[in-house]
Amino acid sequence: MHEAIKVTDELEFLDADSMSISRNAFAELVVEFSDGTTYTRIEPVRSFPISDTMRYITLFDSDGNEIGVVEDVNKLSSNSRDVLIEELKKKYFMPKITKINSLYGQFGVTTWQVETSQGDVEFGVRTRYDIVTLANGRVLIKDADGNRYEIENYKKLDTKSYNLLQTQL
Amino acid sequence: MHGPSSGSRRSRSHRMGMGSFGSKPRNRKKVDNELTTKEEIPEILEKRAHELLDNGEEIKVVVSTDLQFDGTYGKDWLLATDKRLIAFNQNGALGHDIQEVSLTTVEAIEVLEMYGNNILKVITSENAVELARYSKRLTPKFNLTVAELEELSSSNGSVLAERRGRRGPGPGGRRGGRGGPPGLKRGGDKSRCEKCGEPIPSWSGVCVNCVQKSKLIFRLFKYALPFLYIIIPAFLMMLVIRFIDVYPGKLSRELVDNILVPAGNVFAAASADGQPIPEQLPETSWGHLEGLSNTLSSWFGSMPLSGSFGHFLTIILIMVGLSVFNMGLSSVRGYMMAWVGQNITRRLQNQTYEHLNTLSIDFFHDRDTGNLMSRITHDVSRLRDFIANGLQDIVGDSLTLIFMCALMFAASWKLALWVLIPIPCLIFFTIVFGKKMSKVYQVLWKRYANISTILASVIPGVRVVKAFARERYEINRFSELTYQVFSGELNAAKLGSLYRPIMQFITYSASIIIWLVGGWQILQGELTLGILFEFQYYMVRFFGPVRTLCEMNERFIRAGTSAERVFEILDTPPTVSDRDDAQAIDNIKGDIEFREVFFTYDNEKNAINGVSFQVEAGEMIGLVGHSGAGKSTLVNLITRFYDPLQGTIVIDGHDTKDIRVKSLRQQIGVVLQDPFLFDGTIAENIGYSKPGASRFEIIAAAKAANAHDFIVKFPDGYDTMVGERGARVSGGERQRISIARAILKNPRILILDEATSSIDTETESKIQEALERLVRGRTVFAIAHRLSTLKYASRLVVLKEGEVDEIGTHEELIDQDGTYANLCQKQTELSKIRAW
Ligand SMILES: Nc1ncnc2c1ncn2[C@@H]1O[C@H](COP(=O)(O)OP(=O)(O)O)[C@@H](O)[C@H]1O
Ligand SMILES: [Mg+2]
Repeated sequence: MHEAIKVTDELEFLDADSMSISRNAFAELVVEFSDGTTYTRIEPVRSFPISDTMRYITLFDSDGNEIGVVEDVNKLSSNSRDVLIEELKKKYFMPKITKINSLYGQFGVTTWQVETSQGDVEFGVRTRYDIVTLANGRVLIKDADGNRYEIENYKKLDTKSYNLLQTQL
Repeated sequence: MHGPSSGSRRSRSHRMGMGSFGSKPRNRKKVDNELTTKEEIPEILEKRAHELLDNGEEIKVVVSTDLQFDGTYGKDWLLATDKRLIAFNQNGALGHDIQEVSLTTVEAIEVLEMYGNNILKVITSENAVELARYSKRLTPKFNLTVAELEELSSSNGSVLAERRGRRGPGPGGRRGGRGGPPGLKRGGDKSRCEKCGEPIPSWSGVCVNCVQKSKLIFRLFKYALPFLYIIIPAFLMMLVIRFIDVYPGKLSRELVDNILVPAGNVFAAASADGQPIPEQLPETSWGHLEGLSNTLSSWFGSMPLSGSFGHFLTIILIMVGLSVFNMGLSSVRGYMMAWVGQNITRRLQNQTYEHLNTLSIDFFHDRDTGNLMSRITHDVSRLRDFIANGLQDIVGDSLTLIFMCALMFAASWKLALWVLIPIPCLIFFTIVFGKKMSKVYQVLWKRYANISTILASVIPGVRVVKAFARERYEINRFSELTYQVFSGELNAAKLGSLYRPIMQFITYSASIIIWLVGGWQILQGELTLGILFEFQYYMVRFFGPVRTLCEMNERFIRAGTSAERVFEILDTPPTVSDRDDAQAIDNIKGDIEFREVFFTYDNEKNAINGVSFQVEAGEMIGLVGHSGAGKSTLVNLITRFYDPLQGTIVIDGHDTKDIRVKSLRQQIGVVLQDPFLFDGTIAENIGYSKPGASRFEIIAAAKAANAHDFIVKFPDGYDTMVGERGARVSGGERQRISIARAILKNPRILILDEATSSIDTETESKIQEALERLVRGRTVFAIAHRLSTLKYASRLVVLKEGEVDEIGTHEELIDQDGTYANLCQKQTELSKIRAW
């Protein structure tokens, strides 16, 4: 009888030491492995864009085929890491809401005027289902155009913002 | 055998049948439903039977039918001795058919299950005789009868005895593969009450007639016990509140008799005499407040508010004070009881839900989700209301009435008697209307339920509605239901708008009586004005409690039914439950053996009919067969979603029934035919099989199921919410997520029930590559219609109507040129067409 193979034995991550990620003259992302294989215009994708943003980054080549999974961004060499983080931050834009100035609804659409880590913004939310509360007070918001916002912990908001938000949860 | 009955006989028997059904239906059903094969034998039959019997021959079985052979309702009789079977037809009256069969010639006894009725048929060496015809209601009784007849005839050395040995032990094997022995009947068949035989309303699930209210109420008390330390003070507070509520009646009498009337008299006398109005009103008697006045005087030296005005203001202050106090006390008590009630609700809900989770799949097949949901929400809160408020209300209202009656009789027993006259009227109307109302509301309740049902089924099926352009049809159907609710509500409103004015009138008539009789007595000098005021005060408060007490019976019944519905869940033992001596197995190898396994869902037809084969650990078994052949059922038996009716399934030498269900299921990974995802993220759904699984493991499992690729292409990756039942991912994606879920926990036994049926061939072959390695060292059951999916299978088992048709490797079966070879050939042809 064979000893059964565990699922986890099957998964291999990209070797952090034998790869380097850089940006070429066209501002495209390039990954180069120590055996000489090189991919240009790669696309990094987060496996857990909400719950684990800096680990398990899947790299796709320009044709959309998977190159492999980076287990942890922080295990990469510092240059690669900086490039990858910069790219991820660009790709995943999710400002943190720090203060809610006003909320008003009409015909089911709620207009939010908020202050975020990236500046003040106004956006509309179409349904309550676009507002998701996670454990530990984290709130994710998707606006009518598909933009994402988050509140790190709504319990820590100032009283006015908190009360305004309560009407939406 | 049974010649057509003559016209006269038919009409006669029909009348008799109707008579016995019409006159005392309930009694009759009780008798018929009793599970006995020794009924009382009518005298005339006994006489006739004895003419046939030998000396010393004893009648062992007497059963009556509820149908005759010509299809009219009525009783025929079947008797059995240790030598013969005797059937009396047409009530066995003289001159009618008697069938006699000698037991020694009996070869088989069969029950022909037909549409709406059954026939008991005896096959002898020469011919076959139909002995009894009965409706489905008597199925249990006749199953038992058949068992006894078989017993009798085989102990009599009939041919049946040998036959029995030869035919397998299949449930119902000797009855043409139908029906199970009564003892083995699987639970869930609840169309009639087991106790009284009355049909059970489908919305209720429990027999409304048989609810033993007192017993249930007693059981409910158990839930109140832990909170007695709150309930008792709250109860005492209620007594105080009720008392204080009544007391101002006495005060108002004092106010009128001791202050207002004397003062009025003084002024009247003064103005009549043309004298100036006196400065000072006379000192008044403090009546029953004498004690209070003395205490106040001793505190303050003299009365702070003296004279009539002082007395007057004191009484008003007492009234205000009491009602403020009562207000405070009521709100404190209200909160206390709400706290108790909510605690009881929560306990009962949690307990019910917890128990629901231990119940086996059967239980859920037989009851619809809405019904179970309403038990946990609606019924539990009704019980809460009853435990927390109902009982205290009874005591409180009775006490209020007693207080008031006592005070009224003390004040003037004559007037009190007069005042009680409208009470019987009130009770009468309350009860009559209450009955009518509850009927109307029951109908209404069901109509509302219909609306929820239609919404719950149509909204999720909206694709189908649109695809077939049936919107108009659905709208009309819905509108029909809203019309029913509309007319139901109007009926209720009709009753309500009659009821309220009548009640008002009765209350008002009581007050008129007080004016009339009380006024009369005042005019006669027999009564004081104060007493009249006191009576009026009580009247306003009298009818509420009377009404609630009248409605009490209704409340008891409702609480009783709710209790029964909740307790039914709590009292249902898990069908698949651990034996006391069941062991936990930690690391199984994965040898599996089916030994003569039988299983039926409905006692009608065996879904698995005597399956035996052996699987070695590490083998991959492909299960093949037409849909409905029993493939899913077979694998569900391994996981013990159901237990076999007969036979055993053995894993590593242990009978599965000796293994703890939990530890068994820990070793098994299942991908069900219609994979179910919970509303949560993809990561949560994959990790569901292994609490605390790391993200690393989740990704690994997803990769093995070839799911990683599509998952990370969702904007939210593994954090994507799949929606209710996984509605936001496609069928193939759902299957891959559930494959990942099944292999994440590294199960020893893997069951793939058409796990890749919604996945395109290319993706499937990728999954196969990944699985090919994972499958090694595990026992795998794979069910697939696409035979290429099973190319790695070590052996194939072909099922046909619940039985093993062929078994062997692909090559062996092709050589055998049987069912499998046939299937293979057809699929190759198909794929050729596709390839074009
Ligand atoms: N829950 C159920 N209740 C009653 N009958 C069922 C139930 N599930 C399956 N059956 C019946 O049992 C037989 C075997 O079904 P199943 O094992 O699902 O077949 P397969 O998986 O081979 O297509 C079918 O005739 C089916 O109608
Ligand atoms: Mg199936």
